[in-house]
Amino acid sequence: MFTDMDASNLNSSGCGSGWEARLKLGFVAKNGKTVLAQRDHYGPLTVQRPFYPEGGVCHVYVLHPPGGIVAGDRLSISASAAAESQALITTPAAGKFYRSGGAQASQSVSLNVASHATLEWLPQETIIYEGARLVSTMNIELEAEAGFIGWEVLALGRPASGEGFDSGEATLNWRISRAGQLFYQERLCIDANAFAARWGLNGASACGTLFACPISLAHLEAVQQLIGEHPNRGVTRIDDMLICRAIDARADRLRDFFQQVWQLIRNDIVHRPACAPRIWAT
Amino acid sequence: MVMDTDLSLLRLLQLVSPGLPIGMYSYSQGMESAVNDGWIVTVDDAENWLNGLLSEGLARVDAPILARLYDAWSDNDAEAVKHWSQHLIACRETGELRSEDRQTGQALARLLDKLEISEAQAWLRRPDATLATLFSLAAVRWQISKTDAIAGYLWGWLENQVLCAVKLVPLGQVAGQQLLKKLAGKLPVLVQQALALSDDEIGGSVFGLALASSRHEMQYSRLFRS
Repeated sequence: MFTDMDASNLNSSGCGSGWEARLKLGFVAKNGKTVLAQRDHYGPLTVQRPFYPEGGVCHVYVLHPPGGIVAGDRLSISASAAAESQALITTPAAGKFYRSGGAQASQSVSLNVASHATLEWLPQETIIYEGARLVSTMNIELEAEAGFIGWEVLALGRPASGEGFDSGEATLNWRISRAGQLFYQERLCIDANAFAARWGLNGASACGTLFACPISLAHLEAVQQLIGEHPNRGVTRIDDMLICRAIDARADRLRDFFQQVWQLIRNDIVHRPACAPRIWAT
Repeated sequence: MVMDTDLSLLRLLQLVSPGLPIGMYSYSQGMESAVNDGWIVTVDDAENWLNGLLSEGLARVDAPILARLYDAWSDNDAEAVKHWSQHLIACRETGELRSEDRQTGQALARLLDKLEISEAQAWLRRPDATLATLFSLAAVRWQISKTDAIAGYLWGWLENQVLCAVKLVPLGQVAGQQLLKKLAGKLPVLVQQALALSDDEIGGSVFGLALASSRHEMQYSRLFRS
């Protein structure tokens, strides 16, 4: 069932203290194909009709019509992949957090992947303008035998316009639980100090983290070979979770690198070769 | 008036000594690759690096969790000890950093077992044994105050890192001691900040550390285990 939780609020909620928008997606396996069985939304956050460019895997594009997040906006997305379902979620364009006069914006994403289901969370990069204030939270719950690939690529400031990140504050949380137990937690706080410092981003305007499970030692070695002598890129394995990290002067190069990693590992997690959503090429 | 020597102080000195046989000297926590990659070249680079790790990482993760572990051992609350130990492991962002915490934690468990802290025995092989888990157990049983225990834990970490910097950057012995004295001066404030954090505020990531540690795992020639 597709429902509009309250479309009339779309305009009224845009006044004053920022927009609130929520999206809830549910994927279910049905006759060898994954269907988007639940799609509830409130406010300016929605999805297009699902695509099936590679057989049964359900591809969806999350749309945020305002095109950027301003102070006070609160976005929340949740998606669950039921047993045996396979879904890929991406976005048609980069996300944007604009400069804030003081108030904080928030984005919260909750993903739940059931046993023998796979979910890929592969949004385009998030541009964080200088002076933006935000809290982003990724909450991932993986049941035993769940497959997951997710990445986050941040582009800080607008280096092409000579803008760095001398003001603003972004807090980026990742919390991953597996079979009900906390497995991984990070809280990255980026301000002018962390942006510039060697222990932080060393002034690189793009940074990214990619998570994938389950992976084997052979995958780890393949990604290590891909990295080779390239500085500012690294990979680790915690149990059967691969975590790849990188900083770069350019977000597009960082995305290319993550796509290469994705191509190396996807087949063994999703059981299909990498099939880049066409929207990435536009 | 003659003051008695405080035995708990001596116990703390034993616990944070580089001579404690838990192998701390073999871990550089990413510093080896940070030096190898040219990220840390001078004594100032080393100071900035350690400052960042202390204030963004240890003061927001290790120190507040150590405080909770200390309370849990004081209350004999095994569930809370387990909960915060697992939480601390979850905050370690690379395979190597997790292994380090587990190996030093289990090594300290072996030692404490021989030093008549029998509760340590249960932690000899537990995957959620962290250095802080066993360090806090010793601190409670040896009547070291919570504040001193946290300061001592941070100081032990700092001294080990400075010794790594002396070997790796390299720095002169005196420059190393100057660095240690300077950074140790920041610890009292960091301990107080850590004690003021609520459960929800615990957490801090140092991107450069996670990246350096990931790169250390694939560094061709290594002296250190992390």
